[in-house]
Amino acid sequence: MKQFLLLLRKEQLENIRNYKIYWIPAIFILLGIVEPTTNYFLPQILESSGSLPEGAVFEMPTPTPEQMLAAIMEQFQTIGIAVLILAYMGTIAGERKSGTATLLYVRPLSFKAYFLSKWTTASVISLVSVWLGFLAGYYYTFLFFGEVELIKVFQMVGTYSMWVLVVMAFVLVASAIAPNSGFAAAIALGTYLLIQLIDGLFGSNWTFSPVKIPQYGVEWLTGSANSSLWGAIGIAVLLIIFLFAVGSWAAKKNKAKTKV
Amino acid sequence: MDQTTMIMALVPIFLIQLALMIFALVDLVKNPNPNGPKWMWGIVIVVINLIGPILYLVIGRKNY
Repeated sequence: MKQFLLLLRKEQLENIRNYKIYWIPAIFILLGIVEPTTNYFLPQILESSGSLPEGAVFEMPTPTPEQMLAAIMEQFQTIGIAVLILAYMGTIAGERKSGTATLLYVRPLSFKAYFLSKWTTASVISLVSVWLGFLAGYYYTFLFFGEVELIKVFQMVGTYSMWVLVVMAFVLVASAIAPNSGFAAAIALGTYLLIQLIDGLFGSNWTFSPVKIPQYGVEWLTGSANSSLWGAIGIAVLLIIFLFAVGSWAAKKNKAKTKV
Repeated sequence: MDQTTMIMALVPIFLIQLALMIFALVDLVKNPNPNGPKWMWGIVIVVINLIGPILYLVIGRKNY
């Protein structure tokens, strides 16, 4: 426990020094703002780009606020998660390369505490970013498209947070397994796209699949929760525990790959 | 929605964009050993909207 707190402090300091705690939230806020704004100004943008013939009339259906929030989540699912993966691809693999790891591994280090401290810091920063991004997006949606009950937005983002936790655990495992950070990003991004593809193609009956958690989050907006939500969250928690085990094992096994 | 509200709505986007850009540029100037030529990163940060500064912060800094 003492070791965990110490390592946690080290991780926090590192994330402050490489400015991750500033620019990751900034990107999510920007993503959250841009989506409703571009949608609202779409007619003007099309008009000023000038590729339309004279007198063309466009009937744009105005999206409902619920659809807008779902679209913001879509952005987070693609660009947002890619940013998180790129930002944290080097947490373990990069440390082996930069030499920080040599200073850590010569000590009697508990790899469970090591992995957990990294996951905690990465998760806190990404969750704060996601929440800030959604709040900014919600404010603009409210301004341009109309109101959604705030409690429903909280329920949605809370559900989505679970998915972010799974993704962060996965990124760190990839970072522990891979020989360098580029490789880690490739593994994490590849698997992320692959599981979504597989779930989309064959997963119509896998109602407890954690990949469906973002989808269930959107369902909070229009009505009540899907009955399978809690099952999916249960599976997600089990998955995170499993990823912890794999991650700390892989970090220990790859100890020898450290460059001095 | 009238003109002033519209401008009020657009100002934060511009400010965040500008802040990210300045942040990345200051870091680039201070960075003794970026991953690639400095002038190239300068162009990337200034010209490419939104993604430029992120690209620099993620892959331009060597000690991630």
